[in-house]
Amino acid sequence: MPDTMIQCENLTKRFGHFTAVDHVSFSVAKGDIFGFLGPNGSGKSTVIRMLCGLLEPSEGRATIGGFDVAKETDRIKSLIGYMSQKFSLYDELTVHENLQFYGRLYGLSGAALKKRYDELIALTHLEPYLTRRASLLSGGWRQRLAMACSLVHQPQVLFLDEPTAGIDPVARRELWDLLFEFSSNGITLFVTTHYMDEAERCSHVGYIYLSKLVVCGEPDALKRLPSVNPPGTRRLDVTCEHVTTGLKAVRKLEGVQAATVFGQSMHLLVSDALPEQALRDELARVGIPQADVRPIAPSLEDVFVALTNERENGAAK
Amino acid sequence: MKNPFRGFSAILYKEFLVVLRDPLTLFFMLFPPLIEMIAFGYALDNDVKHMATVVLDEDRTVESRQIIERFVNTDTFRVVGEVRSVGELAAEIRRGHAYVGLQIPPNFTRDLRAGRNARVQMLIDGSSSTIAGSALNTAVGVAFRESVVTLLGETGRRDLPFEIRPQILYNPAMRSPNFFVPGVIGVVLQIATTFATAMSLVRERERGTLEQLLVSPLSRWGLMLGKLIPYLCIALFMATGLYAIMHWLFDVPIAGSFPALMVATFVYIFCLLSLGLLISTRAQNQMQALQMSMIFIMPSVFFSGFIFPRETMPAIFWWVGACLPTTYFIELARAIILRGATLADFWTHLVTLVGMGAGLFALCVFRFRQKIG
Repeated sequence: MPDTMIQCENLTKRFGHFTAVDHVSFSVAKGDIFGFLGPNGSGKSTVIRMLCGLLEPSEGRATIGGFDVAKETDRIKSLIGYMSQKFSLYDELTVHENLQFYGRLYGLSGAALKKRYDELIALTHLEPYLTRRASLLSGGWRQRLAMACSLVHQPQVLFLDEPTAGIDPVARRELWDLLFEFSSNGITLFVTTHYMDEAERCSHVGYIYLSKLVVCGEPDALKRLPSVNPPGTRRLDVTCEHVTTGLKAVRKLEGVQAATVFGQSMHLLVSDALPEQALRDELARVGIPQADVRPIAPSLEDVFVALTNERENGAAK
Repeated sequence: MKNPFRGFSAILYKEFLVVLRDPLTLFFMLFPPLIEMIAFGYALDNDVKHMATVVLDEDRTVESRQIIERFVNTDTFRVVGEVRSVGELAAEIRRGHAYVGLQIPPNFTRDLRAGRNARVQMLIDGSSSTIAGSALNTAVGVAFRESVVTLLGETGRRDLPFEIRPQILYNPAMRSPNFFVPGVIGVVLQIATTFATAMSLVRERERGTLEQLLVSPLSRWGLMLGKLIPYLCIALFMATGLYAIMHWLFDVPIAGSFPALMVATFVYIFCLLSLGLLISTRAQNQMQALQMSMIFIMPSVFFSGFIFPRETMPAIFWWVGACLPTTYFIELARAIILRGATLADFWTHLVTLVGMGAGLFALCVFRFRQKIG
């Protein structure tokens, strides 16, 4: 596979008796936007740090562009850009100085530095803030600056550890627009996030839970997995008034395997044996005469919930 | 060929900006040494002058007033009051109003004139051994001198049968600041510089910027040297200021060459900054860095010969002192400032400091892990 950018084989990290990352294997193709999901403390950042050469894997190996991250750390440094959770900038320095510093750090100088600097400013629209100290930037602009700094050496892979944590929705959307732009230029992106809507935008997603990679693949392929769509069941969206009352009622029905509120509606996983009319009757009984029922495809959240439950049930048996 | 100092100029650029932009760090680096210098310089003064003295003169004659005058003329004693009884004399000392009580008995002049042994009683507060010793020495000197003058008068001889002609070299007035202030500079420099570099790298660890540096192609030598040089410049600037204070405020002239003194200072500061960096390679947060710096600072105060002469220390403390850069710097600085020694005279001290600096710096480069966790 000549176009594989990131490859992990049984990547494992132990801290004392605690296994933070447990035999994780996956690969990311060049130009992919790989979304890496999982709850806090599941090992997302540890995987990123191993891939960036900051942590030594306890077991297994990983390569970036064919170079081993543990043994050829110096080779991968020019290939990767890394934006850590805290957007590590120097607060005392201005936007201009931060970019100048990172440029020089990567060995740029003179005309080359000037050219790359102008490119990055144009890309991130930072020009109105050049003389402002990084500490005085709002979250969205800090993040743009951090991104510009991590792109200064034109890396082939960009690792972003929760880039949208604590950012307003507008800035979040703009960031993703930027990420798509990088991706179209052939940069491979590895993004960790908590947001399911961000995961839906990725070309590939991986879900890590309790240090183990639960699933990995294209979002559409994951939604068609048999364990997400158990045979003899279907997913329904029920829109009605008094959703919470309705939810309590339908949960008691035999054949309703899962039910969650989704804004003004609820998402149900019901067995094929349960007719739609039985749902309507039950809702009418608790005082909800009107209900709009339609079949839906599973969301990524459904996928992760189903797979996590499956894994936990499997572990319990 | 890989450049071993890769990223050095970038770190240097950044570090200078960060240091100069952070007035608090700069303030805490420059201001406390100044205050410590002035405070230590004045506090560590062994010269006992004008000690508060109370007098009980029961004789009240020309002779008794003359002998009191002789004591006052030594500049060691200063009469702050007269009392009427021995009890009051002791009470004044107990209350801390005076260090010395001088009692001249009623028959003093009579005994003196009759050629008998005339006695003057002196009470000295022994709480402070330095003050008591000084008072005692001066008093004995006064008594001895008065006796000799009387005896010479009786025998008709014009000069003393035996006399010592002392010549105090390098510090003829035997002023304490001349001894203490160069040592104070050594200690004060250590406090300011070790903290500064220890904090600077640990702060990057805490803020997460260190991770960002570690994923870049920056080399360890580049990082360490880039971190060290800005602080070296500030510390040299500070040292110059401290020498100026020493010269003009404490009136301690530099007998030797000033460039030689600055060379010694440069090497010494390099040692201290490397020590700070070494601490920062191990400390995980600023609190740890602070505590680890203290571990090195305390022995430098006690075992470097700054206050207590090393020659009288138990062997173990002597050896502790021998491991501290401050010890060598203080000896070197005193030699240059007070005795006008040259670097060639003290080349072993200089070589030891250079060795320590190079060793500490290399150690911190090699101990610095380019991984986290």
